Parts: sequence; C-alpha cells; structure tokens
Amino acid sequence: MEWSIGDNNKRYTANLVDKDGIFVMNSLNSNEEKIPISEISVSRDSKNDRLWANILGIPSLAHVTKVGESWWIHLDGRIHVINSHEIGSSKSKKSEGSLVAPMPGTIIEILVKAGQRVREGQILMTMEAMKMEHKIQAPKAGEIVSINHKVGQRVDMGSILIEIGE
Amino acid sequence: MTPDWMEGALKPFNSVLVANRGEIAVRILQAARESGLRGIAIYSDSDAKSLHVESADDCVYLSGDTLSETYLNMDAIIHAAQSSGAEAIHPGYGFLSERSDFAQIVIDSGLVWIGPTPESIEIMGDKISARNKMIDSGVQVIPGEDLIIGPGEDYIESLAAAAARVGYPLLLKASAGGGGKGMRAVYEPKLLKSQYEAASREASTAFGDGTVYVERLLSKSRHIEIQVLCDEKGNSIHLNERDCSLQRRHQKIIEETPSPVLSDAIRQSMGQTALIAANSVNYVGAGTVEFLLSPKGEFFFLEMNTRLQVEHPITELTTGIDIVQKQFEIAAGLQLNINQDDISINGHAIEARIYAENPSTGFLPATGLLSKWKVPTSPGVRIDSGFREGDEITVDFDPMLAKLIVHAPTRKAALRRLDMALSEFIILGVITNLGFLRDVIKEKVFYSGQITTDFLDNAPNSLFSEPAVDPSHLIAIAAAAQKFGLNRQSYGQSNIDISDEYNGHPGDPFRTLSKSFP
Repeated sequence: MEWSIGDNNKRYTANLVDKDGIFVMNSLNSNEEKIPISEISVSRDSKNDRLWANILGIPSLAHVTKVGESWWIHLDGRIHVINSHEIGSSKSKKSEGSLVAPMPGTIIEILVKAGQRVREGQILMTMEAMKMEHKIQAPKAGEIVSINHKVGQRVDMGSILIEIGE
Repeated sequence: MTPDWMEGALKPFNSVLVANRGEIAVRILQAARESGLRGIAIYSDSDAKSLHVESADDCVYLSGDTLSETYLNMDAIIHAAQSSGAEAIHPGYGFLSERSDFAQIVIDSGLVWIGPTPESIEIMGDKISARNKMIDSGVQVIPGEDLIIGPGEDYIESLAAAAARVGYPLLLKASAGGGGKGMRAVYEPKLLKSQYEAASREASTAFGDGTVYVERLLSKSRHIEIQVLCDEKGNSIHLNERDCSLQRRHQKIIEETPSPVLSDAIRQSMGQTALIAANSVNYVGAGTVEFLLSPKGEFFFLEMNTRLQVEHPITELTTGIDIVQKQFEIAAGLQLNINQDDISINGHAIEARIYAENPSTGFLPATGLLSKWKVPTSPGVRIDSGFREGDEITVDFDPMLAKLIVHAPTRKAALRRLDMALSEFIILGVITNLGFLRDVIKEKVFYSGQITTDFLDNAPNSLFSEPAVDPSHLIAIAAAAQKFGLNRQSYGQSNIDISDEYNGHPGDPFRTLSKSFP
C-alpha cells in the first residue's frame, strides 16, 4: 500500500509493527528515500471511528473514516485526507498534466487555445455550478495540448477538460 | 388552539408553512414548534430525507426536478399551504423571499404573509428603484449610474460613457442581484466589456434579469448592516449592527456584532438612517439595511434586504431577541412590545459560515457524503444547520453546510471560543473551509478588527492552504486504521462498542434521538 496526502502527489510507503495490538511506526519512505519520523504509535479506542495516536508520548484522539480509497482524519483540530494506492499504480491524472473537472457544471468561457503556453495558476476557463461562476486554474505551467469541451457544454465531475504538456 | 402569545392579534394563525429548505427552514420550523405553531415543510425529491422535513409537523411533496418546479413554484406552494391547512407562509431567505408577486399571491389567497408588503419588496428589491427612493429620503447612496440600454442598442457605448462618468475603479451590479451574484469589480477600462458580460450573464441565470448598473467602487470600506423590526402600527426599532466585512467575492464568510470599529455616535446615526430607509417604504417585519462604511466614517446605503438574513443569529445572541418569533408576532398584527431603549448589546457574537468548498483550489465547491459530522457543543456555541451525518452534499444547492455562532463577553473571548469550536467541528467526507476559517481569524488584521471588504482579494496565497503537518503522523494513523480494519465495519454499525453514543438500550422508551449524555 502506498499513501499520499491531500492533493499532493508525493507517494509514501510505511512500515508499522504490531506490538500487542498497538501499531508502532517503524519507518517511512518516499521514492526509496527514508523520511525522518517522530516516535508514533496508534491504538484502538472503544469506538470504531476513533484511534489514539501517541505522538512523542502525547496521546491525541483522532477521528477517522474511510471514504472510497481515502482515509479522512480529524487530528488536533485539523482535517486531513490521506489517500491509499496500490503499490506501483499510476499517479493521478493531474500529475500527467490533464485538468479534471472539479465539479459537474457548464463551461461558459474558455480563455486559452491549443498550443498556447500557460503559467501555473493562470485562469484557463470558467465553469458555472450552483449558479456561481468558478475560475479553473492551470495546475502547472506548460503547453496546452488539447481542449476537450466547448463553451455551453455540460461536463461531469472528473471529466478531463484540458490537457497540459511540458 | 391559538398560542397564548398571539392573544389579541388581528390576524392570528396556528400553523405556518416554510417555503424554503436547508438550515433556514430548520431554524423557522423549530421556532414555530417552540411558539406552539404547527410547522409545515415543503420538499422536493432530493430533500425527501432532509433535516428540515424531519423538523416539521407536516410536509408536502413538490414534484419536479428543477427549482422552478419546486421551491420557486408559487402555485405549487400555495396549493401545498391550502392542502395542508397552513394559515401563514414564511419564505426564509433566497428562493421566493424577495418576490413581491409571491407575497401578493400569498395575501390574495387569504394566507398570512410573514414578511413586508409586496410594495416594500418591490421598491427595495430593485436596486435602482431602491437607490432612487433613498435619494428622495435623504439617505446617502454610493455615487453611481443606471444603465439604460434599449433593445438592440449597442450597449458598449452607453456602458463606457456611464463608466467614465462614475470613474474607475467601479462596480457592476445586477439590479436584481444579491449574495454577490451578478457583481463584478472593474479596475481598468479594458476589462469593462468582459466583466459586464460576466455580471449580466450571471444575473440572468440567477435572477432571470440581466440588468446591470454602475457604481463607484469604494475601496478600504467595511460592510455594516442594521437589523430593523417594524410593526404594522408604525413602531420601528433597530437591533444594532452586524459587521460583515470578511467577504470573498462579495459572499459573506464571517459576521460579527458589535462591529469592532463602530463608535456609539456612528452606530446611533446609522441606526436612525436605517429606520428612515425602512420607514420610507412603510416597512413591516424584520429587515436589514446594508451600508458601506468608508475609512473616514462616512456611510452609504447599499441595499435593503426585505427578509430574514443568514447572519441574524448573532443579533439574537447579543440582544436576546428571537427575530423569527418577532416575525411571527408582527405578521399576526401584534404591536412591538419592545422600545429602542430596551435594546442593549450584551457581549460579542461571531458567526462563521462553514462551506463545502476547497480553499486551496480557489474555493471550488466540494461534494460528497457527510460520513462523519460531529458538531461542537459547549457554552456559548450555537449551530444552525440543515445537515446531519450521512447526508449527501451535491451541487444542486447552496454549499453552506452550517453556521457556527459563538457568544462571549468580549471580542477576544469570542474569537477564542470560535477557534475552539472550529477545531472541534468534525466533518469527514466532504472538503470544507473549517481550517481556512481557523487561519483567517488569526490573521493579525482580522484579529485586530481592521479588515476591509477587499482583505481576501489581497491576502497571501499561504492563507488558502492548510499548514503543513508531519506526514508520518497522518500516514501512521491511516495505515493503522487500515490494519485495524476500521473500513470493514459498515456505516453506523459497531461490533466492539455496545453502548453506542445515541442508541442507548434498544427499545428503551427514554432514549433520545441524536442526543448523547456521556
């Protein structure tokens, strides 16, 4: 199992050992590189949607729930999404340079053309959902390889809107 | 039986249909129940199991997939009121709440309309006619101009001329607008055309009216509004201000009262001006007069909202007045039983709007299942929400999940309480702005009470991403959760925890729903 945190594509592998029903983190790696870890062990709580994370000897109650392939964790007043991946599975489409519709909606404006170079954060198109207009930004700098939809078209969440090359 | 508080009312009623959904429907239905009124909900297919339906004594189904077939369908709602025996209609906010034609149909159908007269709604609902009314009444408005564009006429020319007279930077506003929809700031002439088209397009989709007017953009100003209550006998009072300066694209995010910058003198003068505005249209009911406060302490009329406001709870907490209950009383024809002298400011209240949106992707709306939903409970914390655990968040409706409202003796204490409550609000399964709200209230300029409405437009990008956390902590928890097999237990079931939080003993007649007594 590999892990990634939130929208970040960096993949991790973790080694946990079972010590009398408590999982202790042994090591954490990313790209064969060892990541420094703090002393951390995780034990069960009486409720099945909570865990005790013992970090440097200080226990914190974490609320956890799994949605799809992601664990949602509430820890110390913050909410995190940790994604699980099969080892060796391809990285998300986003890292390959395609822009995925973040929500279902209608495309009302396309501001770029195929072949055009864009910078990270540049506004590429406007979508409408919930009666509001939302700007779709370039996730990275690069050249627009293709634009897959037209103005006025309805798109589903997850459809590939634009592909961005190097 | 008519509730005792309605004794002597000219237009008594025993039941109220709430022509709305979500948190505001829940709020009004709870107020109705508390007041001894029978509460009736309406719902569409996607709301069959929603909290507002559960909160009602009766409910009426409206068929159809679109809003115009359901929550915006005047005939169907009147029919629902008649078939369910409702004697009054409360419109909430949004939907039909500011439609004078709806108010008229309600009245013509012999039902009690919980809101101002159709005439007041008409004048204040159109921003251009409201501006003109204010100018006639001696209320200061923001310098600006109407755009009169005849059919087939080239609008670019008239637009550019009006813009040049008003001066840059300027604001394009939908005449029928509200909630930041159909509004665009223009900083330089070359963006005028595209911004005009965007504003007009958004206004057409949201309000069915693409009319736009031009107003000078007052930079470094604060958004301050006054809550008013007016009865049918001509008595009117104001319940002080709400400061709604923390906005994103003209959508309010955090509101507080009292305003950290308002002096008693300006508060009084603004309150009086709000009453002049309300009285100029013979206003009846609860309403809100919005102003922009310039850095020099001048204030300008923005608009009047002729309905209950999203952020009404903070006023309720500091004044001790239940605004929805007052709406019921006024609609029944009762006289206001409070004077201006009775209104005081008790402590400080802040509301934070929890939205299903992702601050790190430019606040795109988020969807999903509320797999876990645990609200903070402590003294001085109030949650108004239309959702509960297990509900699905779709793009069909407004992305506001809840309003978190805190009350404390001072602003600093209220901010601490808000941060604490935000940190204890557990929403898993849908991305929210909870973390962003925690960060923004700690920004020095907000914390010190100095923000203006453009604060978030100029804020550094780092404010919109969550602070970094040691990846080993999070991955250890996720990996352990996986190894413990927590994901294999089906939703709501527990095989190690027999005394589940709210189940108690099965069949126990004293158990309470969704309440826990640890």
